[in-house]
Amino acid sequence: MTRPACEDTFVIKNRNLKNDYHLLALGPYSRASHCKPGHFVHIKLPTADVFFRRAFSVANVSTNNNEIEIILKVVGRSTKVMAGLRKGDPVNLLGPLGVPFKLPKKNETKLIVAGGIGVPPLLFLVYKMIRRGCDPKQIIFFYGGRSSVDIVERSRIKKLGVTFIPVTEDGSLGETGLVTESVEKHILSRRTDRFRIYGCGPPEMLKATNDLGLKYGIPGQLSLEAPMPCGIGVCLGCVVELAKGGHARVCRDGPVFDIGVVLL
Amino acid sequence: MTPDLKVSIAGVKFANPIMTASGCCGYGEELAQVFPLSKLGALVTKSVTLKPRLGHPPPRTAETTGGMLNAIGLANVGIDRFLSDKIPFLSKQKTKVIINVAGSTLQEYVDVCARLNDYERVDMIELNLSCPNVDEGGMELGVDPTLTEKTVTAVKKVFSRPVIAKLSPNVTSIVEIAKAAERGGADALSLINSVVGTAVDPETWRPRLTYNKGGLTGPAIKPIALAMVDAVYSNCRLPVIGIGGISSYRDVVEFLLCGATAVQVGTALFIEPEIPVKIIRDLTGYLKKRKLKSVCDLVGKVRKY
Repeated sequence: MTRPACEDTFVIKNRNLKNDYHLLALGPYSRASHCKPGHFVHIKLPTADVFFRRAFSVANVSTNNNEIEIILKVVGRSTKVMAGLRKGDPVNLLGPLGVPFKLPKKNETKLIVAGGIGVPPLLFLVYKMIRRGCDPKQIIFFYGGRSSVDIVERSRIKKLGVTFIPVTEDGSLGETGLVTESVEKHILSRRTDRFRIYGCGPPEMLKATNDLGLKYGIPGQLSLEAPMPCGIGVCLGCVVELAKGGHARVCRDGPVFDIGVVLL
Repeated sequence: MTPDLKVSIAGVKFANPIMTASGCCGYGEELAQVFPLSKLGALVTKSVTLKPRLGHPPPRTAETTGGMLNAIGLANVGIDRFLSDKIPFLSKQKTKVIINVAGSTLQEYVDVCARLNDYERVDMIELNLSCPNVDEGGMELGVDPTLTEKTVTAVKKVFSRPVIAKLSPNVTSIVEIAKAAERGGADALSLINSVVGTAVDPETWRPRLTYNKGGLTGPAIKPIALAMVDAVYSNCRLPVIGIGGISSYRDVVEFLLCGATAVQVGTALFIEPEIPVKIIRDLTGYLKKRKLKSVCDLVGKVRKY
């Protein structure tokens, strides 16, 4: 494990993707090459208005430039500040933190289940899988959102050569309905395949994805989100209930958990 | 010449006056991956109780202006697992180890402290007489002078090394409780614990914590803590350990001037886990600049009007 430490970095770019979505590149970050899919960085913003750090999954790493990318959606005070950051603004990163995804075996069909702003760690995961020699044709990238504006970085996903299935609740893009409904239809249409699920998204989607895994006996992992004061496992603020009883810390024991482990 | 940071409390010698505050550093394992714990004056553990406690359901922390509310509910592994799983790690650390103990009844405090007495590596015990986040015990004891005195006396009978009483700010007169702890035989006082508070979501009309209220910590409570440290220092003879919103060497200097011999850093660890190291470095720089030989030269030296 990499020793987590605080490090000053800068905003290299801030690209407005769509509506409230922004992609931030941060660097130079000496720990960029230590970041694995599922890891998060805890970001201290250059403003006194935001007290705690904010956790963001790493969306990609460019090791040549020692940069990491994060994707955010403006939902509150801190994300509003982040959306307004400009090139050269300082941000302090604590990381990389958390337990990353376990990479899959080669002979499995990988079902990526992304919901809304849950896409960043999965994007990084798919990049990594392909770099590790995984056939993109064995990756099915489901990506759900309320509307087409919630499905960001489409061209990047398509370029990966994966099967890309956008799903919107209002039908403005791809299949209509909930992303997990599309995933289930796919599972049912290919009963003989060996699947593995990787999911990240809002709580309802995570719960539905977890249920799919349990119902069809498909292994996989989910990346959870929780407000995290410390990010290193000491404050016990971000706990979730476990199926076997007891609590786990999302920041330290997660954020990636095997399907069936957490009570969602 | 390098200024002397060493301090002594009830005969226990600390390399410097910077300690971690209970509940903000677990049992030290996570923090040890960030910096060597030997840098600390002391590590104060998360409260240990007789039985394991799961704590309250989430959400149990909430950010507020200049601080945070928490109602973790004394989640901890219980004394059995603490002794089997946590003490071995703590024993290896080259810093003073202070175990924070909480209980629902006087007997629970006694039972836990009696077991800790067998472990020489436990340099001191800090009694959490004042946790605002449990329905029973804790708070009740800490707001009642008689119960405070009785609890300290009982613990002193079973634990042979120094005992610190950690005091609550949620009382009419903290000096009265401090004096009760002194009568009970406490060797030192630490203050303040968190300040009772709450926060409500205007959209959902729900409190931001499932416990409906919690303890406020962080920079927001520093002025309250300083005033209480000053009051206790002025009215008791026991050494005082200051706690409340410390996040820089300047905060430490304020607490020492108001009478604290040492301080504990809590909530600031959540934002910058390496903060104790930075504070120690900056404090050394401050003492040098002021041409002070020892950090003790600051204690109680506030120049009052």
